[in-house]
Formats: sequence, structure tokens, C-alpha cells
Amino acid sequence: MADVDSAVREAVVEALALDDDEVTPESTLMEDLGAESIDLLDILFRIEKGTGVKIEASDLGDYIQGGIPDDEFSDDNQIISAKGAEQLHKVMPQTDPSELEGKLNADEVMTLFTVQNLVDMVKGRADGAGG
Amino acid sequence: MKLEGQVALVTGASRGIGRAVAETMAAEGAAVAVNYRSGKEQADEVVAGITSAGGKAVAVPGDVSEYDQAVSMVEQTVSELGGLQMLVNNAGIAKDDLIYNMDPGMWLEVMRVNFGGTFNCTKAALSVFMRERAGSIVNMSSVMGERGWTGESNYSASKGAVNAFTRCCAVEFARFGIRVNAVLPGFAPTDMVAGLMEKDGGKGISKQIPQKRFGEVEEVAKTAVFLAGPDASHVTGALLTVDGGVSAQVGVGKPL
Repeated sequence: MADVDSAVREAVVEALALDDDEVTPESTLMEDLGAESIDLLDILFRIEKGTGVKIEASDLGDYIQGGIPDDEFSDDNQIISAKGAEQLHKVMPQTDPSELEGKLNADEVMTLFTVQNLVDMVKGRADGAGG
Repeated sequence: MKLEGQVALVTGASRGIGRAVAETMAAEGAAVAVNYRSGKEQADEVVAGITSAGGKAVAVPGDVSEYDQAVSMVEQTVSELGGLQMLVNNAGIAKDDLIYNMDPGMWLEVMRVNFGGTFNCTKAALSVFMRERAGSIVNMSSVMGERGWTGESNYSASKGAVNAFTRCCAVEFARFGIRVNAVLPGFAPTDMVAGLMEKDGGKGISKQIPQKRFGEVEEVAKTAVFLAGPDASHVTGALLTVDGGVSAQVGVGKPL
């Protein structure tokens, strides 16, 4: 299988029509790089072509939420719970749970997702599928 | 041959314009999935004609208004013909009546096939096209989608929806290497317009057409093949009329 780090990077660069040096592992896809939903779809299809790992757009949200039910992940006002913040730290280690708990809206979790987080997700899927 | 090595799925291809599209594409070297809903014998005949001329074709059953069947049609095409590069959303019906008399179920029925079928087959083919980052879709619309006609409110609205859908698809899919265009025929002699021909052989209509004649289904088919094929590589989101000038004219009054 192609090197996941470079395949993901290439997918992001091409889908968003960016220069190579504009994309770092720490760049958040939606905030820093300006990706919209159709860009994410494009990136996922490019990753599938480059690595053979298939990820549906709906898998992204599920992966980030880690199977935690909505009512445990956030409160009635869609604000992330302690349990939710802990889960976010698992898939996005750069986040500080104390900064998110009780503050972040559940609709905004994707804005924290970085290129490196996507690489980690793809690697996890590749291993799960037996490489 | 312009479509050598390509596979096309043409819906509603057992007769009329769809049949002409299937045959023209096959003559240009494409392998063609000839979709039909009820006309199995006619579809088999189209397949036999293509095959005996040295082409490749299979008959693919399915009702485009049912999404699951659209998915099966795409799957059958890919498994029997080895891929899918072109989709022609041609299947359509007309249930003409004055709105005053029209059973409300009649707009839905027409919309489900003409627009719903286009939506379903487009979505079903997308999984193949997006993975390949290539594909071409041609929607068989009508000048009725851009103009009004007494008694065709449901048909006209469904084709207007197809036109709007064509533009949206073109914009949404362009980055994936997928082109989407529509052909808007005026009057071509098919079973659908047989009623117009009954009284006077269609003269009442044809004398109002600037070219003074009906279109041939082959003329419509060639336009669809152009849009589907490599000659139209930078054409997407186009609504191309093939109507002998019908929709270009004002149509009222007596010229000098």
C-alpha cells in the first residue's frame, strides 16, 4: 500500500488546489484549509484511490464521536460533555479536553480535525482491514 | 469510432429516442446496456440488432423510478460489460391532461419517472463514476422543460426539474471529472407523440416548426452521443435544444 502520510497529503493538496507547502500535519481541514463538505468527499475518494482504504463521508463523524450516543456526547444545547471531550482527545490528541468540555458545540467538532488526524484514521482503517 | 472501449447505460432504450441513442452509441463502438421496464421483446430486438452488426449489448431490466432497481441496473451493467463510463437518462413518460381535469396522482407519476428516474440512476452511477473520477451523463429532457404547452403541465414541470438537476449535477460533479448535460428535443416521431400525428400526419405541428419538419430520432441521438463523448470534453451543464428552431421563435403573429 502507498505511504498513507503522503497519499493523504496529496489528496488534500489536490482536492483543495493548494500549494504543497500550505498543508502541514497540524492544519485543520475546515478552518485552516477551508475545506467544505464536497471537498471532504473529494479528499476521501482521492485517498481511496491512493491507498485502497474506503472511508464514507458519514464515517468521519462516527469516527470522531466514537460510538458515544448523542445525549452522552453533548448536552441538550449541543455542548460537548466531559465524556465527549475525552473521546475527542482520543481521536484528536492535539485537543485539550478542559478547553472543550462545556464549551464546544457538537456541530463544530469537525473544525478541529487536522490532516494528521485524518492520516491516523486512514492508518487505523488500513490495519483493521488487514493492511 | 468515438466511443471505443466505453460502456453506456441507456434507460428506456427499447424504443423511440432511447433505442436510437443505444444504436448510435453502439455504432460508435460503445458496449451498451439497453434498459427496459416492460418491453423485454423490443429490448432483446435492439440488443440482437447491435450484436449482429458486430457490437456489444445486453438487455437490462429495471424501473428507473425505484432506486433499488436503478442500483441493480448499474450493477448488472458493470458486471456484464466490465464497467460504466456513460449514462443516458432517457426513460420517460407523458400523461397529458388539462390541469383542471388532471388527477393529482398524475403529476407525481410523471415526476417519479422523468425526474425521479434521472435522480435515481444518476445517484446509482455516481459510486462508479466518482471512484473512477470519470464519467458522462446525458439527460433526455425536452423543450417543454423551458416552454409551456397546454395539457403538458406535469411533463413540462418534470423536464424543468431535469434541467435544473442537470445544472446542479454539472456543478457538483465537475471536480470529479464527471460531465452532465441535457438534450432538449422538440418534436420527434416516437410513440410518445403519436397522438399529435393521428389527425393530419403531424402537419398542423410541423408547419409551425421553423424547419417545417419533425426531428428524426437519429438527430436527437447524435446530439446525445456528442454530449456523452470525448468531443464535448469541456461541455458540462449545457442544455442543448434539438428542435428545428421551435424554442427560438416567438411563435405569435404573421411574419412579413
